[in-house]
Amino acid sequence: METLGFLATGFSVALAPMNLALVLIGCFVGTLIGSLPGIGPINGVAILLPLAYAMGFPPESALILLAGVYYGAEYGGRISSILLNVPGDAGAIMTTLDGYPLAQKGEGGRALALSAVASFAGSMGALTLIVLFAPLLSDLALKFGPSEFVWLMTFAFTCLATMVGSRPLKTTIGVVIGLLLATVGVDSGTGILRYTMDIPNFFDGVDFLVVVIGMFAISEVLVLLENWLRNDMKLTPVGRSFVSMSDLLAVKWVVLRSTLVGFVIGVLPGTGASIGSAVAYGTEKRFAEGNDDQFGKGDIRGLAAPEAANNASAAGSMLPMLTLGIPGSGTTAILLGALLMFNITPGPLLFEQQPEIAWGLIASMFVGNIALLVMNLPLIGMFVRLLSIKQSYLVPVIVMLTFIGIYSIHGDSFDLYFMVVLGVFAFILRKLGFSLAPVILGLVLGAVLEQNLRRALSISGGDWGILFNGPITITLAIATLLAMVGPVIMKALKKR
Amino acid sequence: MFDRLFAGALLCLSGLIAWTAYHFDVPFQYEPLGPKAFPLILSTVLAVCSIWLLLKPSPNKWAPTGAVLLKLLSGVALMTGYAFLFEKAGFIVSTAIVGAVFCILFGEKPTRAIIYSVVLSLVSYFLMKHLLQLNVPTGMLFGG
Repeated sequence: METLGFLATGFSVALAPMNLALVLIGCFVGTLIGSLPGIGPINGVAILLPLAYAMGFPPESALILLAGVYYGAEYGGRISSILLNVPGDAGAIMTTLDGYPLAQKGEGGRALALSAVASFAGSMGALTLIVLFAPLLSDLALKFGPSEFVWLMTFAFTCLATMVGSRPLKTTIGVVIGLLLATVGVDSGTGILRYTMDIPNFFDGVDFLVVVIGMFAISEVLVLLENWLRNDMKLTPVGRSFVSMSDLLAVKWVVLRSTLVGFVIGVLPGTGASIGSAVAYGTEKRFAEGNDDQFGKGDIRGLAAPEAANNASAAGSMLPMLTLGIPGSGTTAILLGALLMFNITPGPLLFEQQPEIAWGLIASMFVGNIALLVMNLPLIGMFVRLLSIKQSYLVPVIVMLTFIGIYSIHGDSFDLYFMVVLGVFAFILRKLGFSLAPVILGLVLGAVLEQNLRRALSISGGDWGILFNGPITITLAIATLLAMVGPVIMKALKKR
Repeated sequence: MFDRLFAGALLCLSGLIAWTAYHFDVPFQYEPLGPKAFPLILSTVLAVCSIWLLLKPSPNKWAPTGAVLLKLLSGVALMTGYAFLFEKAGFIVSTAIVGAVFCILFGEKPTRAIIYSVVLSLVSYFLMKHLLQLNVPTGMLFGG
């Protein structure tokens, strides 16, 4: 019952006029960003973060805006998947499989409407689960000491390594690069300077925003440049847009299962919407065995599953970010960094000391999803028309926004140069098959990991045994070990 | 091949990081671990990973044509130029120039590109500076 009281507090925050306006703006911009091929949620949040910071919003309002962009983009990503066969973001890749064939049959409107409802159901289901689990998880996390947090982060990185990207090795390297970037600057324990190369701008550490924008937005511009071809994309006609009750009834179990799958994968550290939707699609295909010949040719089950799952995992990835301070996906890593910039440390204490932020965000997500359903059913035509914006008009706007955003933080051109350098570096990483989310996760968690490790060893007087001192640490150590060897064993078993 | 080059560079980097960490001058320290240990642990992990990558690189089919490479380089040069001009020439001038060239790089006709980016820079200047009150450089030309 206590939870309901907190939720009421949350709604009073989320329904304050300014926050309500920001939810609507965030959701609108998010849908727009998601629907434009090329810029996904992670880029949208990265580009808007410095602007939100520079405009001096209170932390809960900035977070409400940026989170709106995040889950709004998961709605928007499906539009270009269905109509153009080009996923608007990574979470919508599976949506192309059955969405585009439906559009080719002239049922684009039906596909868009059904997927909007599936997205809505996925989000709402996951949000309900968040409301149920957030107090439990944050109560548990209150018992965590430094050594537990060290293990929690190690577990997060291990999950990330074995589940994300083409090779665990490359993900590990990405995490280590991020962690090393976090060591740059003055050491809080002793006051010595580490890896600053005598550049004053690095004395208080590399700026999180510069790294995020450089690595995501600038490298994305380079990728767009590389892939640009002189072809006009053909929009498939939408057809009549309607929600049919029989479609909804046919996929109700699919949506329910996919929501659960998406939520669990979203909660797992580092694995976000793209993996959630892929796993849900695979699960549904297996469930439909014997009756699955339509999958890939325009089956509504194959459309509803990834859409419910990617929205559920986008919402689910907020849970560990808020309760434990461990982001559940690349985009929530950026949101975590945003909170840290406002001097707010997410984690169990957030729910006790600043319930208006944690519960305000959760409540705003309920409001936002209702708004998104409205935007994505009657107003779908407007977003479809926006799909035909040419990249030649879009790219100058992206570049301009990144430069304004970064410059307005410190008013120093050095940040702009550093951003371009990081963009080139990130482009090379992408070409070598590294994913960038691990780097950002490492950067965000680096300082916290080091602090906790040093604090743990201070407590024990230098005895590393403190890392195995209680039931929670040992459980987490075993979980880490399982996450490390589990996938290898699974692969070996499959081969046989 | 690309992987091997990168792994080699990372190996050198991890050595450099470890060496620097080892020579940190720590005048006083109240805790057992200190500022050296974390970078040392990380550089060890990085070194092991890069040796592994050096021995087992993944194939890489990235082979950009000369034209693509030229386009990428001009993109980088353009953004560096933007960083250089942003404060000195001011937002309006630098955005108009860089925006126009980007437009052309993405296949727009020069006249339309110039009109678009001039309008874009003027509109966003007033939007960002006066409506959102962000720190946008005016530049010398307009007496900033």
